[in-house]
Amino acid sequence: MVEKVVIIRYGEIHLKGNNRGYFEKVFMNNLEKSLTGIRHEIHKPSGRYVVENYDETRTDEIVQRLCKVFGTHSVSIAYKVPADIDRIFDIVSQIAPKEGTFKIVANRADKSFAYNSMQVNAQIGGRLLAKNPALKVDVHHPEHEIFIDIRENGTALVFNAFFEGAGGMPVGTSGKGLLLLSGGIDSPVAGHMIAKRGMQLDALHFHSYPYTNMQAREKVETLAKILSGYIGEMKLYVVSVTHIQEAIHKNCPEEMMITLLRRFMMRIATHISNQYGAQCIVTGESLGQVASQTIEGMTSSNEVVDSLPVLRPLVGFDKTEIIERARKIGTFETSIQPYEDCCTVFLPKHPLIKPKLEKVHEAEARLDVDALLQEALDSLEIVTIN
Amino acid sequence: MIYLDNAATTLPDADSLEKASVYLKEKFFNPSAMYREGFELHKEIDAAKKHLLSFITPSSDYDLIFTSSGTEADNQALFNGIKRGNLVVNEGEHAAVYMTAKELKKRGHDVRFAKLLSDGRVDVEHLLSLIDQDTSLVSVMHVNNETGAVNDIEDIADSVKKLAPKAVFHSDGVQAFGKIVYRLSPKIDLYTISAHKIGGVRGVAGLIKRKDFHIDPYIFGGGQENGLRSGTENTFAIKQFEFAAEKRFRTLEADFLKIQEFNRYMREQLNPALFSFVSSKSASPYILCAAIRGIRAEVLLHILNDKGLLIGTGSACSSRNRYSRVILACEIKKELAEGIIRLSFSAHTTKEEIDQAVQILNESVSQLAERMK
Repeated sequence: MVEKVVIIRYGEIHLKGNNRGYFEKVFMNNLEKSLTGIRHEIHKPSGRYVVENYDETRTDEIVQRLCKVFGTHSVSIAYKVPADIDRIFDIVSQIAPKEGTFKIVANRADKSFAYNSMQVNAQIGGRLLAKNPALKVDVHHPEHEIFIDIRENGTALVFNAFFEGAGGMPVGTSGKGLLLLSGGIDSPVAGHMIAKRGMQLDALHFHSYPYTNMQAREKVETLAKILSGYIGEMKLYVVSVTHIQEAIHKNCPEEMMITLLRRFMMRIATHISNQYGAQCIVTGESLGQVASQTIEGMTSSNEVVDSLPVLRPLVGFDKTEIIERARKIGTFETSIQPYEDCCTVFLPKHPLIKPKLEKVHEAEARLDVDALLQEALDSLEIVTIN
Repeated sequence: MIYLDNAATTLPDADSLEKASVYLKEKFFNPSAMYREGFELHKEIDAAKKHLLSFITPSSDYDLIFTSSGTEADNQALFNGIKRGNLVVNEGEHAAVYMTAKELKKRGHDVRFAKLLSDGRVDVEHLLSLIDQDTSLVSVMHVNNETGAVNDIEDIADSVKKLAPKAVFHSDGVQAFGKIVYRLSPKIDLYTISAHKIGGVRGVAGLIKRKDFHIDPYIFGGGQENGLRSGTENTFAIKQFEFAAEKRFRTLEADFLKIQEFNRYMREQLNPALFSFVSSKSASPYILCAAIRGIRAEVLLHILNDKGLLIGTGSACSSRNRYSRVILACEIKKELAEGIIRLSFSAHTTKEEIDQAVQILNESVSQLAERMK
């Protein structure tokens, strides 16, 4: 049996200068974590990572998991053989198609190997043609490509496919943020985008039990679980805003419910970020998508966040673009389950689209903001998602 | 914990579980096997059938086909009505009949839906207007699972057969069997019963059929149940059903009167300013359906859950299925339809539980109304 290995190529880390070592170390760590529970070894020869001695019955799962790790550019499953032209040909002829057009792409890292890349291409290609008369070479638009990588350590890697990786930067290299995770379509996409730039994320979810149900909560945990497939272990903070909603409902104009609730959510998020070391708040808001996501709405909710940046990666996206991404990262089907995350019992028929700050202040003055905030923070539950 | 969701399922009767456990532990043989041990079980299943039938009819004109669920029995009944003509069901049926009827309609059959009266009973006049000489099957549930409304199936079957003598009359008796006093009459061709609503376990139910009435199988295979329902018999569940039903029927009338009194008492004790009743006084006492204005039933369900009272609702907080189809068919206004709760009792429900439930309900609803004001 010829030994198989999995090759992982990374993308943007190449661009890093002096701190490249740090990025590579974090990436290695994340790759390791992603394969938790599967037998494997990861090595880093040069310019790539290689998984060896792994459980071959779980190859597909390994590739799937590795492709999700941010920083991964592409992944290939390769046969590892001694760097010997006959042995290389043996394996190439096994995996090569029997008909159609092909191209051999050799790459010689070991310059002491007897043949250079062009010669390897010619040798192997020539033998393959002789063996399979129905095959034809096409160097421009081949139907099949076979790659031969001759390494410095006297081995050659032979493979025929690239699986596209998630790209981006290794999670953990760009600080830590707190994602407001609602259960809708947008927030998981926002989290994915920010994590892709290397940010470690925890998530914060608001519920209004008994006005919302256990299914809504479970849905959010499922979304967090899907996200953790990309970004690794995360904490899910769960806070009840039931009494805040009731207090707004009782004391403030109906149309201000969302505006005021958003401000409370941002205050809670600020507290939790400060307490648990997040450096920013990440939301799934998209300009003008709903009544609370107007520039006036954002101004109103930003006003209560004094110490942290609020990142809104979807601000310029259309709903259709967000849905497309949600489908791609696998959160869409869960997001559209019909459980409401925030109670519609209290939702106004005509929410305020352009809240004026002075009116907001006026309405908020009717509430004991500090006490409500403290009560909400006291309801905090922390769930570890991995 | 106070459990008032017995129309959903009941606690399996402990004595019957114990008594039937021998069919799991020792008499595990396949009843179709030719050796003595298997054949003995075959006879025991036959005995269970006769025994179960004896609770509901003194005559030997009926057979019982064991199925895996009431839903399966209802499916088998309805699929037997599609050979010709049209099917007539109604808006109040349990999903097992209603969704099957919808599916048959989708497949091109002529399926007609009769309207309901405001308490959930079938509008008989409307039902009869849908029937003609070509009607092949009529299905009217005996006791409505959401409102407890009792349809006079004898009377309806009688009228149906006058209009369409060849029509098959089926009734889903899942919420009636073992709860209300009833004797099958020859006008009823098919009747569905289920174990887990009366202390049996899930996984067994039955379709009662008149012996002289031909029915086709719905599940095919090894030819068990005289070819009418293939699949190795669930001997344990069948025998436990028999034992649980035997116990149930022994005190059926006394239990009925007790629950009737609880039901009356509860109607009296629940704050009339908060609760209005969808169930009429002629409904099965085992089900009390109430509407609460301005409150979403699922929200109340959560609060009651936290206080240890488990009830059913006729609606959900999900944006799909916000209202119960049956409740809307009773022409109950949407603002009330959001707040439908179902309290359902078992023969084991106690007066203390009723008293506590009344207190929790009155208190929780008024508190919630205050919170949402």
